[in-house]
Amino acid sequence: MSIKKALYPIWLAVLGFGILIGFYTAMKLFTDGHILFNTNDVIIWSLPLGVYIFLALTSSGLTLLSAIPLVFGVGKYEPFAKRLVFLAIATLCGGFVSIGLELGTVTHMIYIMLSPNLSSPIWWMGAIYSVELVLLVIKFWRLHAGDWHSRFSKFLGSASFFCALAAPLMIGSVFGLTESRITFFGPVMSIYCLLMAFLSGLSFFILYSVVVEKIGSSTSKDFENIIKEFITIFRYAASAVVVFTLVKIAIESATVVPEFLVSTKFKYAFGALGRVPNEVVFGLFLPFILLLIPVLMKSAGGRVFTSVLMWAGALAMHMQILIAGQSHPIGPKAEQFPEFMAYSPSKWEWLVFLFAITVMLLLYTLGERYLKLTGARAD
Amino acid sequence: MPRYAMVIDLQRCVGCGACSIACRSENNVPDGIYWSNKITETVGKFPHVRYHYIPTLCNHCQYAPCVRGCPTKAMHKLDTGITMHDPKKCIGCKYCEFNCPYGVIYFNWETPHRFWRDEKPVIPGGTASPKELSEKVGGKVIPYYNPDREETSAGIRPKGVVEKCTFCDHRVRKGQLPYCVEACPANARIFGDISNPSSDVSVLLGKHRPFRLREQLGTEPHVFYIREYNPARYKATKGGV
Repeated sequence: MSIKKALYPIWLAVLGFGILIGFYTAMKLFTDGHILFNTNDVIIWSLPLGVYIFLALTSSGLTLLSAIPLVFGVGKYEPFAKRLVFLAIATLCGGFVSIGLELGTVTHMIYIMLSPNLSSPIWWMGAIYSVELVLLVIKFWRLHAGDWHSRFSKFLGSASFFCALAAPLMIGSVFGLTESRITFFGPVMSIYCLLMAFLSGLSFFILYSVVVEKIGSSTSKDFENIIKEFITIFRYAASAVVVFTLVKIAIESATVVPEFLVSTKFKYAFGALGRVPNEVVFGLFLPFILLLIPVLMKSAGGRVFTSVLMWAGALAMHMQILIAGQSHPIGPKAEQFPEFMAYSPSKWEWLVFLFAITVMLLLYTLGERYLKLTGARAD
Repeated sequence: MPRYAMVIDLQRCVGCGACSIACRSENNVPDGIYWSNKITETVGKFPHVRYHYIPTLCNHCQYAPCVRGCPTKAMHKLDTGITMHDPKKCIGCKYCEFNCPYGVIYFNWETPHRFWRDEKPVIPGGTASPKELSEKVGGKVIPYYNPDREETSAGIRPKGVVEKCTFCDHRVRKGQLPYCVEACPANARIFGDISNPSSDVSVLLGKHRPFRLREQLGTEPHVFYIREYNPARYKATKGGV
């Protein structure tokens, strides 16, 4: 028996253990409540919400990438299309696990449909992501059945592409439209989320593909050529985010708006080099520089390291924005709470994170095993 | 249909906190949650310092950010302008709390009134348990439970949902004043129909120049503040260079 075959059941057992712990965590949250989180009435949203944003945006990015072959008809990317769609589904499922455990009363979710509030960005975000998931599942089913070019299949591709464009904008508007912290989150959040979605999707896809190909030991010339092209797209996406982030830092640094100024005290949750937060330095600038080194981008190790940095950096950047924006109490809450609130996740929040990631990994593992995710092409 | 509003006269308010205590008992408010609260601030440098006290509650905004943002319409407006919350529809996403510019919405992070649910005696063999005590006096969870609160919403809101001031809608519909208004020993809170030009609130707002919290946001709060408690005098001066 090869080592790979021997490791497979162990890997499944690890994932199974992770799922069991996840169910236990869910049960504890439903019985004891969200007092188990290190949250309060100032820092209201924490790691589970950050993980949801991160995974949902990654899923949108993957869906946008899948549109290159499936909507815009670039045939050479077709071998990756099915995998991209499947990864988008699995990643979104992980995101839904995280947000589901963040909600106080998930059993009332039926009212999202029974009494929808069309003026709520949260409603639109939930609705679009739910529709996107359904469309992606049906799209994957059509691809799996070999139906790549029927009108229905093309409609599914286009519709899911529009959902993947709109959903990150809605996540951004949840923050961008808030009256209570208008200066901190600001009107650029939607654009930022869309850019981050594309970047996260790309970094995750490169990371995943390189790892899976390495495990499979079946690197083909086709794979190599296409990955090189994805890395080029990755460079451009990273450049856009770098420029946008620099502009954002410059504006924030120069502001004299009082609400910006009070929030900047908690701006560097992960420390900073000068005025640039560490998560931006190590999670965006460093991998961007690495992307520009050709020799590094030829090796599997370099690709994995760079995309891991970029992907994890995206999570850290989302967390920083989320926590810094909530770090000071509003109105009379300053009577109960200190002027600035520190935050570190509780073990239960980490377990929610673990549960979401385990669900994703389990779906990937089963998908790679049973659904022939690579090499599929339209006839 | 009346449009309810409250005027808080800061010259009459002495900061005794009776409004907050009355609110807690009327609405069975759990520990750590404040439907009726305050903002205090100290300004100046010693010895020239002043202490300001502003009572706060839900502003029942005309254009309420919490109502706009709630995905299930659990947070909604009544015809009377009261911003009301339905815990049965609340999914606990906390966006209303996140979005409220006035910091007056709270989340039930755990089962409310946990202390009074405890079955262990405070002194084993000596006293009753909190739960026994509550049951003996006929309370529901808490010994001072007010069943009237159940008339329009949950008597005690469950864990996993938000809660906030409702202008005591269960009292107002019966022609009674909100309990914080009733309990104020200084008559600093004046409640009424702002759409009626001869109501007490309308008369006061016509006589004084009111301010509202964070007016620049355009949410149109319906809690108005008039006057100021300030006995300070100073010698007439033109300053100097």
